Amino acid sequence: MDEVLWATARASGVVALVLLTLSVVLGILTRGGRPMIGLPRFAVAHLHRDASLLATAFLTLHVVTLLGDSYAGLRLVDLMVPFLAARDALWQGLGTTALDLLLAVIVTALLRRRLPAAVFRTVHLAVLPLWGIALLHALGSGTDAGTLWFRVLAAASAAIVLAATLWRLLAPSFRTHPAARARRTPERSLR
Amino acid sequence: MSTLALPAPGLLDPARPEPLPRADDLPAQITRSGLTGRGGAGFPVGAKIAALRRPPAAIVANASEGEPLSAKDTVLLRESPHAVIDGLLLLSDALAPRAALTIMVHPRSAAGVRAALAARPDGHRVRLQVAQERFVAGEATAVAAALAGGEQIPADHPHHLTEKGLRGGPVLVQNAETLAHVARIARHGAEAFRSAGSAEDPGTRLVTIARPEGAESVLEVPGGATLREVLHLAGTEPGMLDAVLVGGYHGRWARPEQLDLPLGPRPAPGVHGAGAGVLMLLDRGRCPLAVTTAILDHLAAQSAGQCGPCVLGLPRIAASMHDLEAGHGDPARLRRRLEAVAGRGACRHPDGTAQLAASTLTAFGPELTAHAAGRCTGWRR
Repeated sequence: MDEVLWATARASGVVALVLLTLSVVLGILTRGGRPMIGLPRFAVAHLHRDASLLATAFLTLHVVTLLGDSYAGLRLVDLMVPFLAARDALWQGLGTTALDLLLAVIVTALLRRRLPAAVFRTVHLAVLPLWGIALLHALGSGTDAGTLWFRVLAAASAAIVLAATLWRLLAPSFRTHPAARARRTPERSLR
Repeated sequence: MSTLALPAPGLLDPARPEPLPRADDLPAQITRSGLTGRGGAGFPVGAKIAALRRPPAAIVANASEGEPLSAKDTVLLRESPHAVIDGLLLLSDALAPRAALTIMVHPRSAAGVRAALAARPDGHRVRLQVAQERFVAGEATAVAAALAGGEQIPADHPHHLTEKGLRGGPVLVQNAETLAHVARIARHGAEAFRSAGSAEDPGTRLVTIARPEGAESVLEVPGGATLREVLHLAGTEPGMLDAVLVGGYHGRWARPEQLDLPLGPRPAPGVHGAGAGVLMLLDRGRCPLAVTTAILDHLAAQSAGQCGPCVLGLPRIAASMHDLEAGHGDPARLRRRLEAVAGRGACRHPDGTAQLAASTLTAFGPELTAHAAGRCTGWRR
């Protein structure tokens, strides 16, 4: 039965990474404020939320199954405090770091209506380093890290996230927050 | 030296295809003989047959011989292929006349076995399949996977192959040498088999005498013979040896003071587990750590890539041994890494690799101390 736990953790980890990548890219696109090809803006936002929810579900499966696996050798404290693990402390610790950051992102996202917009935005930006740390964790701890298909997947994910980020940073029309732009725009020009 | 007497004809003496004897009471004879599997695990063949709930859908003579140091199945098939074919046919006649019969051979044996099958009238009953060359290819579930047309790699198996193997039917995988013994038991009876060897380890077994560079010779030795007696039969001077790796790459080191312990089917206190019969000699002056790291590197690379603890754990075990060889390692760290893979994986590859590493730590304490101090007691490569 032991290999069932590891196999589930291994698969759910890869799926969570793919979903997280999708979520990050959709998040950047929706923040860009422009409809994607064939998709209205609200649909992009919906997809972003759904991908995030699914990523969270698979990540939970990933962590819970590893908790029961003898090779992973995780204690409860290793889920929250990084770099304490007896084995493979660095790579496993990166996973814990990503998990901690994601937890902060999830909590602030759920409390978005009750938090100042700046708090939500700042914490939500942690998704980018979080995603990078999760990718490093996968490359360091992943059973499949040495395989060609995983390296292709990792490189493609990195390329997509990088491209989306650059697009967002460089697109002149989206440099400012919509609220700030609204403040600057004279009232009558909106009519 | 009467205990070293071998029955004639020997297992490696060429046997001509002769009419097969009746096989009615063969399972009972096998159980009475006390024959154990010669593929490495040393499981009693009678018990394995008794575990079959239905007649097997397939029976395999396994000569995949993935262990690089082993040559006994190859030599057996070269010298006496008909003994193996006889054993396979007899077991089929006794258990499942309609079972699919396969000889799974290492590529180097393919031509010889094909010719042997063609030379006998009942040869068409047996299919020859060439095994893939990898360390874990000989594992029984890997053999079953290859029968089904897949990659020859082990599978996670919640059920024994004797319950559920190929397309739902039981599969009986027996080592080629085991089947040669079966043929011998069918012809001469269980008592004749037991006349050689000891009560704990009846019969004879083939051993491969090897050095780190590869196999050197194959000979038949009686069960229960001590390591010193086996080395004597092989014409080796034990005084020139620093250690013997008993059981091949998944085996354990025996130091000179352990040479008077007997070989047996499985490792036990006071017994060297013969495994598949490989005895790798380490000459005096060769560094055991250098030899072991090379083996561990090979074993780590031979992981089929299926199970996390194997894919991740074995390279780390090898790296720890490299560190120890380089003099800056930590034995406690290596031991933790060995514990981590214990009992894990779909097959015994991680356990076997850990066994070799653990045995190296136990057997070569002074050498480890010397390396930690920046020296090596070896003087030749």
